[in-house]
Parts: sequence; C-alpha cells; structure tokens
Amino acid sequence: MDLFLSVLITLFAFDHFLFLIAGTLLGLTVGILPGLGGTTALAILLPFVATFEPTNALALMIGVLAPTTTSDTFPAVLIGIPGTAGSQATVLDGYPMAKQGMASRALSAAFLSSLIGGVWGAVILTFAIVFAKPIILAVGFGEQFLLIALALIMVGALTGANVVKGLASCTIGLVIGAIGLAQITADPRLTFGTLYLVEGVPLVVVGMGLFAIPEIVGLLRSKTSIAGDVGLKNQWAQGFRDVANNWFLVFRCSTIGVMVGALPGLGGTVVDWIAYSHMRQTEKNIENVGKGDIRGVIAPESANNAKEGGALIPTILFGIPGSGNKVLLLGGFLLVGIEPGIEMVTTQIDMTYLIIWSLALANVVGASICIFLARPMARITTVPYFILAPILIALIFFASYQVNRDWNNFGGLLVFGLLGVLMKTYGWSRPALLIGFFLSSKIELLSYQTAAVYGYSFLWRTGSLILIGLTIVTLWFLVRQKIGGEQQTTRTDQQRSQIILTLGFLILPIAMIFGVYGLDARASFYPIALSLILAAMLIFVAAGQYVTRRATISKEPLPQNFMVRDMFTQDGNFGPQLREFANLLIFLVLIVVLGFPIATLVFITVFIATRSPRHTLLGLGLAVGLVSIMWTLASMLTLQYPAGWISGVIDMPWWLSGY
Amino acid sequence: MRKRSFLKTAATVVALSLSTAPAMAEVDFSGQTVTVIVPFGEGGGTSRIFGFFGPFLQKYLPGNPLVQMQNVPGGGSIKGANQFHNTQTADGTYLLATSTSTVVNQASRNPLVEYDLSAYQPVALIGSETHWFTSASVSSTPYDFTPLVDRPLMLYALNSPSSADLFHVWVFDKLGIKGAKPIPGLSSSAGYQAFLRGEIQVSSHGTANYLRQVAPELESGAFTDLMSFGLVREDGSVDRMPYSPDTPTFPEQYERIQGKTLEGADLEAYLAINAIWNQASKALFLPTDTPEDIVVAWRLAFEKIAADPEFIAAAAETLGPAELIIGEAAGPIIKSAATLSNATVEQLNAALKANKLTFRIK
Repeated sequence: MDLFLSVLITLFAFDHFLFLIAGTLLGLTVGILPGLGGTTALAILLPFVATFEPTNALALMIGVLAPTTTSDTFPAVLIGIPGTAGSQATVLDGYPMAKQGMASRALSAAFLSSLIGGVWGAVILTFAIVFAKPIILAVGFGEQFLLIALALIMVGALTGANVVKGLASCTIGLVIGAIGLAQITADPRLTFGTLYLVEGVPLVVVGMGLFAIPEIVGLLRSKTSIAGDVGLKNQWAQGFRDVANNWFLVFRCSTIGVMVGALPGLGGTVVDWIAYSHMRQTEKNIENVGKGDIRGVIAPESANNAKEGGALIPTILFGIPGSGNKVLLLGGFLLVGIEPGIEMVTTQIDMTYLIIWSLALANVVGASICIFLARPMARITTVPYFILAPILIALIFFASYQVNRDWNNFGGLLVFGLLGVLMKTYGWSRPALLIGFFLSSKIELLSYQTAAVYGYSFLWRTGSLILIGLTIVTLWFLVRQKIGGEQQTTRTDQQRSQIILTLGFLILPIAMIFGVYGLDARASFYPIALSLILAAMLIFVAAGQYVTRRATISKEPLPQNFMVRDMFTQDGNFGPQLREFANLLIFLVLIVVLGFPIATLVFITVFIATRSPRHTLLGLGLAVGLVSIMWTLASMLTLQYPAGWISGVIDMPWWLSGY
Repeated sequence: MRKRSFLKTAATVVALSLSTAPAMAEVDFSGQTVTVIVPFGEGGGTSRIFGFFGPFLQKYLPGNPLVQMQNVPGGGSIKGANQFHNTQTADGTYLLATSTSTVVNQASRNPLVEYDLSAYQPVALIGSETHWFTSASVSSTPYDFTPLVDRPLMLYALNSPSSADLFHVWVFDKLGIKGAKPIPGLSSSAGYQAFLRGEIQVSSHGTANYLRQVAPELESGAFTDLMSFGLVREDGSVDRMPYSPDTPTFPEQYERIQGKTLEGADLEAYLAINAIWNQASKALFLPTDTPEDIVVAWRLAFEKIAADPEFIAAAAETLGPAELIIGEAAGPIIKSAATLSNATVEQLNAALKANKLTFRIK
C-alpha cells in the first residue's frame, strides 16, 4: 500500500505532472499530421533528454509517446488516412461514419474507448507484470507460430462477401509479403535487383495505398465534401453513450490489446485488426459493420492504447523493445539510467509502476484533449473537396515518405493505391490482403524455426494445446458465420472486367514462381507453394464468376453454395476513378521535376485555383503553410526532402536537395 | 598520429602527439554546419554513439561548428552509405558514420554496395567486443566448451547468412563444434529472447549488453561465460578484455579444443573478422579527397575528446569500456575489414557450405 501511495505522490508531483503534460501536448501537436507522431516527437526530444532530471525526462518521454495511438484517430476517421499501423482498422467504420456526417460521434466514442482502454490496460499490467516473466518465456517459436495462425483465422472474418475471394485476397498479401530478402538463405526474391525491394514496401505505405487512396479518389469523384450533402450532425454526446452501451466490448478488446502487446511473435501492429475481427465474430446484428457501425470504431480504439502498455512489459523486463517506438523509449531509458531487467519487478518495482501509471495518466490527458477537439475537428468533413483533396494527397505522400525517408515509397504508394481502388471497386478484401502481407515473413520464419528446434513435438506443449483449442473454436464460429447468411445482390454490369481482373491477378503468382525458381528450397518452397495455392484460388474464382455470368445472362437462378455466391460485388465503376487517380500521377511527376516541397506548393495552389478560382489565395496560403511545416521539420529532424530534377539546374537550399 | 586507447583509462595516454598537426590555423569551421550521415534510424546504437560524440566534437573542432546527425536508414545501411559515396563533399563538413553491418555489406561483396570504405579517410574507430555465453543448465563450468562439443545439437541465432552473424558460423566451425546449427531469421534481440526461453543454447552480446544484461546473470550463476573474441593489439597479439580478465579469447579456446595454435589462413581470417566485428564496430569517415589539414584537424579533435576528463567520465556511463583508435592506425584495419582476402573468403564460404547454407561471398 505504501508502494502505491509513494508512486501516486511522485505521479502527481508538480514537476513530474508538468513534464508529463508538456510531453503529451508535444506528442499531440506533432501527431496531428498523418505519418508523424510520438516516435517523431521522441526522436526530436532524445538529444535533450540527458539534460533533464531523470524522472522529469522519463515523464516527458512517456508523455510524448502516449498520445500517438490516440491522435492518429483524427486522420483515420475524418479523412480515411491510416497514418500509423495502429489506426488501420479504425478507418473501416470510422470513415464511413464521417461520410454520414457522424464524425464527432465516431471521434468522441473513439477517444473515450482509447482512454478507458489505456487505464484498464494499466490496471491489468499493475498486477500482471509481477508474474509476466514465466508466461512470456513460455511463448516459444511453436506458440508464436500458432498465435499467428490464430490471428490469420480470426481475420478470416474480414474476407468480405465471398469466402474464396477473401482467402485469395489474403493469399495475395502473403505472396507479396514474400517479396524481398529470404532471411533464411539471404537470397533476394523478386527484387529486380533493387535495394528498395530488398526490405519491401513498408506496412504503413501499403495501408495508406490500400485504404486512403481509394477514399481520396472517391472524394475527388464526389465533387462535394466528405460529409457531402448529409451535413454535419452534432452527436458528440452520443459517442459517450455508445461507449457506455458497449462497455463489455471495450473491456474485452483492451484485454486483448494488453495481451497481444506483451506476447512475442505477433507484435502490436495487428492488434487493432484482431480486436476488430473479435468484435465481428462475437457481436450480434453486424450487417452494418464496415459501413459505419460505431462498434467498428470502439473495438480497435480500446485495444490500441492498451497494447502500448502491454508492449512495455518486454521492454521493462528484458530490455527487448515490444513495438517500434519502444526502441526509442529503450534508448531514452538507458540515457536516464533505467536498466531493464528482472530488478524492475523486484527492487525497482516503484519505478515500473511509475512508468505504467505515467503512461495511463498521459493517455487520460491526451484522450481528454482529443475529446475536447473532436467537435471542431469534425468540421474538416465539411471542407469542400477542391480544398481538402489536394492537401490530403500532399499529406499521404508526406506520410509515406516520412516512414523511412525513402522517396521510392511514392511508387509503392501509387501501386498499392491502384490495387486498392481495384479491390474496393470489385469486392476484394483489402484488410485480408494487408494482414497477409504483414504476417507473411513471420509465418515463414517461425515455421522454419519451429521445425528446426522442435519438429512436431511443439504441438504437445501446454501453450500450444491452449492455442490449438482457441484456433478450433474460432474456426468453428467462422465457418458457421460464413455458411449461414443469404445471397446478396449481384451487379450485372462490368462482370466481364471483373473476370479479366481475376485472371490478371494471376500475373503475381506466375511472376513469383519464375522469380524464385531455382533458388535453394528454403528460399523458394514457401513462395512457390503459396503461389500455387493462390493460382488455384484465382482460377476457382474466375470459374465461379464465369458460371454466375452465364446464369445472369440466361436469367437462370444464381448459384447458392457459399463458395460461389456473391462473386460480383461492386462499389462504383473503375473507369471514372482511374481518371481521378491521374491527379496522383500528376503530383508524382511534379515531385520528380520540382522536388517534394515545391511540388506540394505548386500542386495545391494550381489544383485549388483551377477548380475554384476565387479560393486561389486561400490555396496559396494553405500550400505555404504546409511547406513551412515541412521546412520546420527538416531543421528539427535534420531531414532532407527528395530533390527534383530542377536541383540539378538551380542551386537549392540544403533541405530541398535530398538524395 | 597513431594512438589507441581505452576510454576508461584514456587519461593516462593523453596528448602524446598533438604537435604532429601541420598548419592547424588554416582549418576553421566557424559558422558552418557539419553533417554526419548515419545510415540507420534514430534511436539505434550508431545514432546513440555518434550522438554522444556530437557536443564534444562541437567543442573541440576548430571554429566550433554545429554538428548534426542525418539519419538515412535503409537496406541495412547500404542506402545511406551509397548516398555518402555519391555526394562526398570534401570540405570536412560531410562525414559517414558506420557500424559492423556497413562493413560486412562491402566485405561480403554485396552487388548493391556502391561505397568503398577503404578509399575514405578514417577519423576514428570505436571498438566493441563480442562475448559468448550459455545457460548453466547446458554447461556449469565457466569457459568450458566440452559439454557443447559433446551435444548432438547446439543451436544459435543467425540473423541472415549475409549479415555479420555469418561470422558465428565460421567461429563454431573453427572450434569444431559438430552439433552447432544456426537458426536463421533471428535478430539479436529475438535470439537473446529465444536463448532465455532455452530454445537455443548459445547466445552472444556486444560489450555494452554483455556488461548490462549478461554480467548480473553470470554473477547469479544462471548463465555460464564461454569466451570473448579477443582484443587485437597493434603488433597483432591478442589480449583478453581488461574488464573481464578471466574470460578466454577465441584463439585460446581454439587452441584448447583443437590442440594447435591459431595460425596461417585461420589466423588471417580471424584478424579480418576481428577488424570487422570488434575494431571497426563503429567508425567515422571523411570523403576520399578531403585535404590533409582537414583530416588532421578532425583526428586531433578526437584526440582532444579522448583526453577530456568530462568525456571520460560520461563515456564510462554511455559507451562502456570501448576501445578508441584514432587516425592513421585505423587505415590498415579498415582495409583488411572491407576488402577480405581470397583466402578468408574461401574460409567463410567453406564454413557456410559445411552448414548447408547456400549463401556465398562471390
């Protein structure tokens, strides 16, 4: 009891509290832009950390990191841009709600669940951390492998209308995930001799391509604002009631968040998808999920703050970072003299509790500020497209560059963007692809490592038996859900283009097989096996689509078997979207010629000026503002933006002449 | 200009040769900004170490320029190093910081590498040491490899055969541990975690983590110390690490197990690997065409830093007992590290082949 009291006193001590709030404010400010967040803010801070008093420095660092998974909800809900991997699932229902004018409701519900999730996570951690070590050490290669298998099956709930199409989407992700260096043999797979593909396209860029670009293209098509003719409804308080009505879901998902964050193997990145799938599988009346159901926002948001707490466990206990930004935090810990290790739960337990509860307190502060901001920020959804769209385009390019400062990401963004538009239009599951992409290399390595260390004996370990049990139950629920249900509507136009697209996807497995054929079996077996499975699935889908098309033409009843029904779901037409997609290509060309910041300036100004001449000055102002932010960041982070062709002709300032 | 020192004891070997600096007055960085390309992300070891040197460089470089790190991560440091190679502003304000993986990429003749570390002007090398240890349940006698040699299987972590971990394959091959088998795809932290779980039997750490994480476990008897790679002196002799004088080095263990001294091609390979892994663990370079007086000014700044009591006190905390090699002495080390001899390449390829790994240095 004395322990808790002394931690509480330090927690709210004036200095500590002040630094915590200062950190939170800094994290929020930086985190408003998609692609930036606590990690960037911490990178800015780290050089100065050593100059503060250790407890204050600690408060500052935790404060800065905490609001990242909160503030990234703004771009995810309001403009459909998942700026971090933790907000990808939030886009699924959050953005449709914004389009229905319910942005403030989605935001207030999201922030309240974030807040509760964060605090509940801290409560669990307070008790769990003391005996977490044996549990974490019990999760070996085999358990990690099964954990990932379980995650993949849970995500099976996200396959969309047709099961086979959904599974094929996931397999496309798995095959794309196999591009890059085969770690076991160090053979490059389908990298075309480039350095960029050795490491592969970053997950955040794939996520933005698949989810944000189709929405931006949609916004350009709509020629209105995000909320369109619906207008903005003020349902701020309704968001709180939604959370209260779903309190049990919040607790379930935040518990999942802590566990997934702490256990090795999966990593925190997919936790929001697991929470989302869990919601889909366990909740009733889910027909509106994916089209703007508040539970689709509550589930991932309750999980992603709790996950940050869970990810602290391996950092504190073993000095092993549990998620990306923990690498920086660990560096900060060392700088202020905190040595991770088992002492952190014995003699240093007060320090551990201080860390855990500082994180929770920073979450509360951050989420409260965001709740307060939800109403004014929701007005973004009423901004007309000709102002919002060019800024969004510049922002996602900026965010994708910022991930690892590689301008090749622009190419990755557009390729996955085009894929995203196609998949969205023709009913292929984008979440399934994204998750397959992320888990692919883990599956390959863990299956190899498990086999090398255990053979099949891993199946008889206690943890494995528990996980196998869970997997079977999940699979049972999944199959029951998929076999039930009825035929949905099938559109009759563009059926032929859809069959062509299905067959077009065959290029991927064929290229992969040719690309890795002849490599050592340890590098080629996995991608070839996956490619063959994918090819079989695609041919099955194409055949199903052909049968359905014949039935449509001859006006016969459509096939009802769950494997072949709903072969042609469609959302909009592809052609007109492709025309709007061209705007992104124009921007890319401008970047190549002018360099990124100047291209931003020109693109935003000209776009706004041509679509609405009376807003030209406003456009110029916004563009200058955005470029000033880039310039400020360049000096704070010592970062250069990719120079264009023009820098070879005119001498450019340092920050505009990147490599 | 040749000096090597242990930071812990650097105060004793200070300022022997400051007079060798010719025409110092001409070099002046006042008002300028020095950019150090760090080909890794923020928060990593390389950023931390050179970030730590930053303020001291600012203090001791003539004209007190602003020193900034520019992180250019990607491709296991190839991207940033290539960028340095293709820019090479040779006025003393543009430098490259490297780590072992930067050297290994060149040494293993990766076709994506455009840079050539042996052509640049080395300013300073910051050494590290590699330590191996096992758990008490595998072997309870310190420094005794016998239980490991007898095991049918002795598993260890291997990030990828093209990474610096490739040297582990050579080490266990040379020690003649028949059951040694690499588990690929494990980063150093994932490998350490697997070791804690008892899934792999031998793990290794660099100096900093050895002192921080492993030393307490050795004390408590949970882990058993095996060996260090060895501290190579300028005359080619190999010493134990001053901070762990009981830990035998690789050449000692080689002799103990194989019954012969390390010599010939084996010794040559050992020295080259030691240069990559330990001596040039972190390094700082100026471009090839940097004028002599600027190179000297930089090296002199490092010598002054190494003698600064404030630095020595702070370095003991941040860097630990790191070996610092400044100036011309670094040249041959970098050359032998970055351009492996054909005999050494053959040794490494043979070790890879013996472990049924298909990666080869071409």
